[in-house]
Amino acid sequence: MSTVTSPVPPTSPIPPTSSSSSSPGASTLTSIGALPVDVVTTGRDRRDHVGAVRAALRSEWIKLSTLRAHKLILVATALIGAAIAFVLAATAGDEPLTAAELFIYPLPLVAMLAAVTGILMFTADDEHGLLAVALTARPSRWVIVLARTVTAAAVGLAYGATGMVAGFAGAAAGGVDLGSGSALASRAMWALLYISLAAVIGLGVGMIVRHSAGAISGLLMWSFVIESLFAPALPDGVVHLLPFSAGYRLLDAGPSFEAPVVIAHELAMWQYALVFGGYAVLSLAVGAYLLHRRDTA
Amino acid sequence: MITATGLTKRYGTHAAVDDLSFTVEPGRVTGFVGPNGAGKSTTMRMMVGLTRPDAGEVRYHGVRYGDLRHPARVVGAVLDPRSMHPGRSARNHLRAMAALSDIPSTRVEAVLVDVGLESAMDQRAGGFSLGMRQRLALAGALLGDPQVLLLDEPSNGLDPDGIRWLRNHLTAFAGRGGTVFVSSHLIGELAMFADDLVVVGDGRLLAAGPVEEFTAGQAVIVSAETPQPDDLVRILARSDLDVSVEVEGDRVVVHGATKAEVSELAFENGIRLTELSETTRSLEDSLLDMTGASARFASA
Repeated sequence: MSTVTSPVPPTSPIPPTSSSSSSPGASTLTSIGALPVDVVTTGRDRRDHVGAVRAALRSEWIKLSTLRAHKLILVATALIGAAIAFVLAATAGDEPLTAAELFIYPLPLVAMLAAVTGILMFTADDEHGLLAVALTARPSRWVIVLARTVTAAAVGLAYGATGMVAGFAGAAAGGVDLGSGSALASRAMWALLYISLAAVIGLGVGMIVRHSAGAISGLLMWSFVIESLFAPALPDGVVHLLPFSAGYRLLDAGPSFEAPVVIAHELAMWQYALVFGGYAVLSLAVGAYLLHRRDTA
Repeated sequence: MITATGLTKRYGTHAAVDDLSFTVEPGRVTGFVGPNGAGKSTTMRMMVGLTRPDAGEVRYHGVRYGDLRHPARVVGAVLDPRSMHPGRSARNHLRAMAALSDIPSTRVEAVLVDVGLESAMDQRAGGFSLGMRQRLALAGALLGDPQVLLLDEPSNGLDPDGIRWLRNHLTAFAGRGGTVFVSSHLIGELAMFADDLVVVGDGRLLAAGPVEEFTAGQAVIVSAETPQPDDLVRILARSDLDVSVEVEGDRVVVHGATKAEVSELAFENGIRLTELSETTRSLEDSLLDMTGASARFASA
């Protein structure tokens, strides 16, 4: 429980600063001019760090929950999930799939939504001048990055869960068998991981590119066009390492669910998770580094 | 109390801010003046850690900005009035800001009342006029009940009513002991309510001191129209007045003498004057003089 220190109350004219503007390493805080001790720190301890991240997370949650757009996207995710699964279920051919498989089909789209939201979480903020506002309040950039990463992952999870549940319901409504539950749990888990990581990769790309339209079109073009176009020409070893080709394989919907790029010899799920996760970490690291180095307008 | 020492920022080979040092005293309104392109905005961004200086530092009561545990509770900055998401209400915008700095949410309503936005607090910021945005930006700066206010060209786009409101607010803030640092390229306006001025041009400090130093040194200019301009000039040169004179046709402009002195000289020597007027050299002209040699962008 973080103790909320009350803000500095307005006081009578501030007494003149003592001339001992001690070097930052000194611990005699009482000698630093007129600033109350609790707003000055010359060395942060762990409690400060945790408190800072907690405050940043609270701020991100308020920002997320007070924009109508995010609620609309969540609703859209549910609609997409339900609609696609329903249509596929209703138009099933001679080899009907089960709901336990169909709920995966809408998820590539949901993952893109998550990635775009991740991008906008940074770029929209920056374009409206809110990044500058946040950084003046929390100059330690890593605090902002960490809070946004956690928020992006949570948003991805929310979209993924919504899309899956809606997909399952939509498929069931479309009249197919529910299917066996044994594979369901692990499929859901990998899919959630994929969508969550997609949101985080979006955030990283947003931090690097810094421009909404550029980041979104770049990311979508890369995943849909470039990877799909070039992957067939590349050896399998390289294809395993392409971000979305690897990530896509976290979506498992049974034997008839084909990835856009076919690989002869597939790796294990956890290995693809590692590759995709690695890209998420990489984009975040580069983005955080650039955030630290660049000046903010 | 703000102390800036040797602030420098280069973009390529050009120094936007060049070894700038100044002090901003508490309990007073300090105007930060200079033509557009003088480096004011860059300096203000360096003062809150948005832009990293190539050299120099800024300290608030002896403490660097990055060393403040809750910067928003010490320094309130109004740098860009458009810094808000159009889809969010004023109240929620401030709630998010308050949460980030561990400021109790009770302050949100308090500052909205303070700046006069309580009737619009649940409206989306996208529908705000520029004046309302300025107020919201100021509200955000006041959330943490800071001791220092930094404002970058805050009256841009405000109507006279809004400007007056802002001026009163800042003067009251300084009156309570706070430190106010306001940048503007309109020296005349700043001189009306600032106590001190820091003047910059082309990134460098040109002058700093109480506003009286700038207004007191304003020279008087006398303009006389006469059918005998050469005679008048001759008389002035022979007199014991220390003046400089410009002549253009029938008009003689005298620097360094009063209207009464010129009139008496003319009368004593039988020179007819068809017009005689006295003007005080405006602060704008003084500023232009100071910065003219170093102005990076010529005015229209």
